[in-house]
Amino acid sequence: MSDRPTPEEERSALAGEYVLGTLDARRARAVERAMAEDPALAAEVAAWEARLAPLQRVAPPEAPPPGLWDRINDSLGEARPAPPRPRRDWLWKGWSFGASAVAAGLALLLLVRPPAPAPERLMTVLLTSREQPAWLVEAGPEGIRLAALNRQPAPEDRALQLWALPPGATVPVSLGLIPRDGGSVAVSATAIRPEPGMLIEITLEPPGGSPTGRPTGPIQFIGRLAPARGS
Amino acid sequence: MDGEAPLPALIEAIAAGDRLALRAVYMRESTRLFGIATAILRDRDAAADALHDAFLRLAARARQFDPARGAAEAWLGGIVRHAALDLARRRGREMPSDDPTLGDAAVEPAMLETLDAEAQGRRLRACLETLEPRSREGILLAFVHGLSHAEVAARLAEPLGTIKSWIRRGLLRLRSCLA
Repeated sequence: MSDRPTPEEERSALAGEYVLGTLDARRARAVERAMAEDPALAAEVAAWEARLAPLQRVAPPEAPPPGLWDRINDSLGEARPAPPRPRRDWLWKGWSFGASAVAAGLALLLLVRPPAPAPERLMTVLLTSREQPAWLVEAGPEGIRLAALNRQPAPEDRALQLWALPPGATVPVSLGLIPRDGGSVAVSATAIRPEPGMLIEITLEPPGGSPTGRPTGPIQFIGRLAPARGS
Repeated sequence: MDGEAPLPALIEAIAAGDRLALRAVYMRESTRLFGIATAILRDRDAAADALHDAFLRLAARARQFDPARGAAEAWLGGIVRHAALDLARRRGREMPSDDPTLGDAAVEPAMLETLDAEAQGRRLRACLETLEPRSREGILLAFVHGLSHAEVAARLAEPLGTIKSWIRRGLLRLRSCLA
C-alpha cells in the first residue's frame, strides 16, 4: 500500500493549512474563493476551525488599547448600513433568538459528543473498463463532486460528459461536460438529487457534448453511489 | 438588543444591523480576542489594527454564522485570527521574532496545559501528544503565533520541505485522531 494521500485527504490538509495560517497570501485567497463555490471545502474549513478552536485559549487574554471601540464605530459609520432584513414581529424575533440558543446548545452537545449526525454522505469510485480507479465521487444534499484520481484527458476531438441514472430510471440525466484540464468537477443539487444506488457515468461524446441529450458514445468510467462509511 | 444575551443571539442581531449588539460583543470578547491577535502579531498597534478589521468583518459577515458548525466564541476567534494573519501577510510577516514568550520548545508543555480547561481541549491535547514533537511544535507555532512555513522551518532549524510535510502529516493524523 502506498502512503499517497487520497484527494479527500489532500483537500482536508489544504483546509487545515488554511485554518492554521501557513498558506501564503495568494493560496489563502484561492482557498477563500474556492470555499464560496465548494460546500465540501467550506465544510472542511469549518471542521478544522472547530477542531483547532481550543488552541485559541493558548494566547493569554490582553486588554485592547482604550479608544479602539470608538475607532471601529467610526469606521462602520462611514460604511453603508447593512441591507435591511425582512421585518418580523416580536413573536417571531423571540422565537428566532430562542432557536439560535437551542441551536447553539445543540452545537455544544455535538462538540462534546462527536461524530455529528451529518446529512447522508454518498460516495463511489468510477472505474475504467479495466477496473482501474479514475474518479472519486462524493455526493450529499448540496450536490456531487468529482476528483480525478488518475487524470487522462479525452482525445482532442472528443469531450467527456457526465451522467447520472437514478435507481429505477431508464434515461440518464446529463450533468454537463468534464472540463478538459480540470482535476475536479462540482455539480450542484439543482441538477440532480443524489441518492444511494444512483449510477454515475462518464461517456465519450462529440465536442460540446451529446447532440441528443442521451449518451451516444462509449462509457469511459462508471460507478454506483453508496453511503460513505466513517471518515 | 440586551447586552447580556447569549453570543449567538448577539451575532444574529449584528446581522440585522444592530450596532449595540456589536458593541456588546466587543465589551464581552475584546480582551480574549486582542490576546489572540497579539500572540500572532506580537505588536500591540498591529493587533489593534487586526481587531479593528475583524470587527468590520464581523459586522459584514454576521449572517454567515452557522451555530451548527461550531461555537460562537470559536467562530469569533477565527475571524480575528484570519484578520491578524492577513495583516501579518501584508507586512511580509516581519514581526519581531525575538519575543521571549515565543520561543523554544520549553514553552510548549505550558502551552498545552491551557487546553485542559475543557473536554474538547483535553481531547485535542491528547491527540496533539500522539504527533511527532516537531510536527506538533510546527502546528502550535503556526496556529498560536502565526508563523509561516518558512518561519517554522527557521525556528526549528529544519528544511522548508520537511516542515511542510510534517505539518501536513500532523494535520491528517490529528484529524483521524479526533474523528
